[in-house]
Amino acid sequence: MIPEKVWRALASLKLTVWLLALLMFLVFAGTWAQIDMGIWETLRTYFRSFIVWIPFAIFFPRHWDVLGGLPFPGGYLLGTLLMINLALAHATRFAFARRKIGIFLIHFGLVLLIVGEAVTGYFAEEGRMSIDEGQTVHFAEDTREVELAVIDPSDPQQDRVVAIPHAKLRTGAHIRHPELPFDVHVEHYLPNAELFESEEPLPPVPHPGIVTANRGFAAELNARARPRQVASGVDQDEIDLPVVHVRLSHEGRDLGTWMAALYFTLVPRFGMQPVVVDDKTYLLGLRYKRVYKPYSVHLVDFSHDRYLGTDTPRNFSSLVRLVDPSQNEDREVLIYMNNPLRYRGETFYQASFKQGDGGTVLQVVRNPGWLLPYVACTLGALGMLIHFGMHLTRFVNRRRAA
Amino acid sequence: MTREPDKNATPPVTSNVDETSARGGGSRRGWLAAALPAAMLAFAVVYLLAPFRAPREEGFALSLFGRLPIVDQGRTKPLDTYARTTLLAISTKQTLYLSGTDGTSERDERTDHGRIPAIHWLLDVMSKPDTARGYRVVRIDHPDIKSILGVDRQRKYFSVEEIVAKGDVLDAQFARAREVAANDRTPFQRHVLKLGQRLRLYFATEDVLNLLLVPPADENDREGWMTFTAARADTGAHSRLLPASDAYLAAMQSWRENDPTVFNAAIAQYLETLDTRLPSVSRRMSFETLFHRVSPFMRSLALYVLVFLLAAFSWLRMSSPLARAALWVLAVTLVMHTLGLVARVYIQGRPPVTNLYSSAIFVGWGAAVLGLVLERIHRNGIGSVTAAGTGFLTLLVAHNLSLDGDTMTMMQAVLDTNFWLATHVVVITLGYSATFLAGFLGILYVLRGLFTRTLTLDVQRSLTRMIYGIICFATLFSFVGTILGGIWADQSWGRFWGWDPKENGALLIVLWNALVLHARWGGMIRQRGLAVLAIAGNIVTTWSWFGTNMLGVGLHAYGFIDSAIFWMFVFVASQLALIGLGLIPLHLWRSMPGAKTPTPKAPRERDDDVGSLTPATPSPR
Repeated sequence: MIPEKVWRALASLKLTVWLLALLMFLVFAGTWAQIDMGIWETLRTYFRSFIVWIPFAIFFPRHWDVLGGLPFPGGYLLGTLLMINLALAHATRFAFARRKIGIFLIHFGLVLLIVGEAVTGYFAEEGRMSIDEGQTVHFAEDTREVELAVIDPSDPQQDRVVAIPHAKLRTGAHIRHPELPFDVHVEHYLPNAELFESEEPLPPVPHPGIVTANRGFAAELNARARPRQVASGVDQDEIDLPVVHVRLSHEGRDLGTWMAALYFTLVPRFGMQPVVVDDKTYLLGLRYKRVYKPYSVHLVDFSHDRYLGTDTPRNFSSLVRLVDPSQNEDREVLIYMNNPLRYRGETFYQASFKQGDGGTVLQVVRNPGWLLPYVACTLGALGMLIHFGMHLTRFVNRRRAA
Repeated sequence: MTREPDKNATPPVTSNVDETSARGGGSRRGWLAAALPAAMLAFAVVYLLAPFRAPREEGFALSLFGRLPIVDQGRTKPLDTYARTTLLAISTKQTLYLSGTDGTSERDERTDHGRIPAIHWLLDVMSKPDTARGYRVVRIDHPDIKSILGVDRQRKYFSVEEIVAKGDVLDAQFARAREVAANDRTPFQRHVLKLGQRLRLYFATEDVLNLLLVPPADENDREGWMTFTAARADTGAHSRLLPASDAYLAAMQSWRENDPTVFNAAIAQYLETLDTRLPSVSRRMSFETLFHRVSPFMRSLALYVLVFLLAAFSWLRMSSPLARAALWVLAVTLVMHTLGLVARVYIQGRPPVTNLYSSAIFVGWGAAVLGLVLERIHRNGIGSVTAAGTGFLTLLVAHNLSLDGDTMTMMQAVLDTNFWLATHVVVITLGYSATFLAGFLGILYVLRGLFTRTLTLDVQRSLTRMIYGIICFATLFSFVGTILGGIWADQSWGRFWGWDPKENGALLIVLWNALVLHARWGGMIRQRGLAVLAIAGNIVTTWSWFGTNMLGVGLHAYGFIDSAIFWMFVFVASQLALIGLGLIPLHLWRSMPGAKTPTPKAPRERDDDVGSLTPATPSPR
């Protein structure tokens, strides 16, 4: 039996105020943390979590040595507590009355907002489609995650792809799968690394501790990788360039140590590296995780208008052809800034473009909760108008009477 | 909520002693009471209207030349604006001091240098490049760059000639600085790059043939503007090249030869051509030059100071006439402030808030309007003082933000949507206005209560009402504005809420206002607590308005403290100090001589109906 006092405390406005204060600090800290962590990592550790360790150092210039931190309730925990507080407040203190309708609407709107954010956190999927003019693409890439792809290009109709997901690419992991033409041993995984040309020739035998590739691009270029700090969320231009070193073997035979780097995949002059196993060529590369779609998007034309006499972009637009055999759809659509295409529960936004305006980058989002904030906002705003409006009219009437 | 002191029955009009004495003080006082507001109003109106009259020009008709159109940074603007903003960007000033061929941006009272407008400087740069290169106009602040130039370190402005003489050394430094990532640059490297920018701008201005000065044949052809070089190469464009090139050639030559008659005739004729061919562009150019001449925001800024003084003194003496004078002057100032905003909307064809500068102007406007409304309701000078205070401070911020160049910049592609600019941005900016206004009301509560005896029970009640009402308004606007921002984000990149710094900043304001209201409803704070928390709202709003923009810079290279960051810290420190003052025990407040340590319970308001649901437990301290 929970004592009355506890119920009352849980339903109290005092708790509301404290929770709001804690939430403010969390949001504030979560803003500073983005300088070092990147937005996705911050999102995961601060807002979509139950508990977070906030280091004091995030609030100070980065070259100061500030030690310590404090454990703090994360976004999910505070959200849950606020919901409990709200629910109990309505259960114990609020009897429904006409003059309180505004408050009910505001609170219901807020619940919807929090639910919407949770739905987004659990169910939303985001990807990018980057398409060159004239190219057709039927997958989206998740730029937050990489995968190690092994491709068998021998069938001219369709490539056979085996992708090893990001989660499996841990240092020391050993990966074996009937579909894979070889076993993969992960020597070293670096979440963000820069490549540099090594002065000395590579030692024939891998030196313990320092991984050096003896096959593939890295061996040809004498390239090695050194770790770099994970990109910050504040600077939008930086991206992480992960590198994985893998030792491949087939039926006990060593196929060498390879460096698979996202950098290689992104730069056209490298691309995927060929691996020959028993006279059969496979392609190996670290790339953004791909999600294949049942339809394809063909970029007819990308245009990028600038203001006269400047480099300031005025508008980007992509004329695409959407082909979906299962729905018998084949049509042209113009996607431009603030004018997305919504199709099959997914929304395509004009996000960016390729260098030299030769291609477009579309953001593809599936969010089953996308409508919730719209409803929440309407309810909340309406509630406030009613509630504060009633205050105001009462105030004015009283003054007039006086 | 049973206790309603009798005083509440009387309307909270100022119960000042001075008012009664003014009324009963004989005819002299009565005469003054009538004349003072009228005189102040007349002064303000004359001050505001005076610049509308065209200045009389002897010799060169510079104001006509200033009306000629140019396309710069993607916008069609009069040469007058172009000259001002370019000179501002190069030298941080809009005027120059000149005597013969010796020009400088440095003000020196002892010499006989006359002050010349930016357009005069522009004509010199265009038509007498060698002379103009000798003017000391390029601002350099870093001592190491000055020592590279080998000049007196006391000077701030340097001539292009002096700088070009050390071109080799500077070029090498420039190239080095460019290789360093923006956030890792040392102060020296930042200053070198800044100097590079200023020089590039200067040389671009000097290169008349490659400015977009040749207008299209037809008004609807917005992309049809050309440079002289391009128009000469394009035979199809010759019909429109000729009037422009004739006019500029004649103007520049007669400027060199000091022949105003030819100059004025050439410009007048060209303007006539433009009037018939591009009537709406022509109208906009005249309007924009008038806008700059009137400079509505600087004039409003000055008058806000007057309003502030009038209203603040009304609490000490002659309450009624001074308060009325303040209200009247506030009203006309606000008309000017509003006209300025409308003018910008007309010139840009955009909703009022498009960048940080215009947000500052709009925040001040919103706060001043709300203050005026408060003054109309309460009539005790408080609305006027806060309106003037916030109006003045935000316009001062705006003025400092304007020193970078043209304030009517074109919008980045994703922002190129009048719908969202008109809804989300305007609403959220009004939320800033209201939060700041509540904060200023809180400051008044603390300062008047602590240092004067003017915080009477009536004033306390009326201030609390105002703070409470304004915070409700702020909650509504910041909530709706923030969510509209989310919807815009969802519309443009499919993410309703990304937890990015700017969004988080807006969210903090909403949370803060909600916190204050709930603390009030829950009886955790009363009048003074409300005032103190409202002051803290100033810090939250400043963070969200400016702080989030500065996250990316300055953190990696803290040695260089941007002056904006410095002023932000100063403001935050001042607000913390005011909060500290607000927390001084009440029995030390001059307005509350009777206060004992547990404060007498302030009357609760009838309208906080949520608060009344919780048992009113007196909080013992």
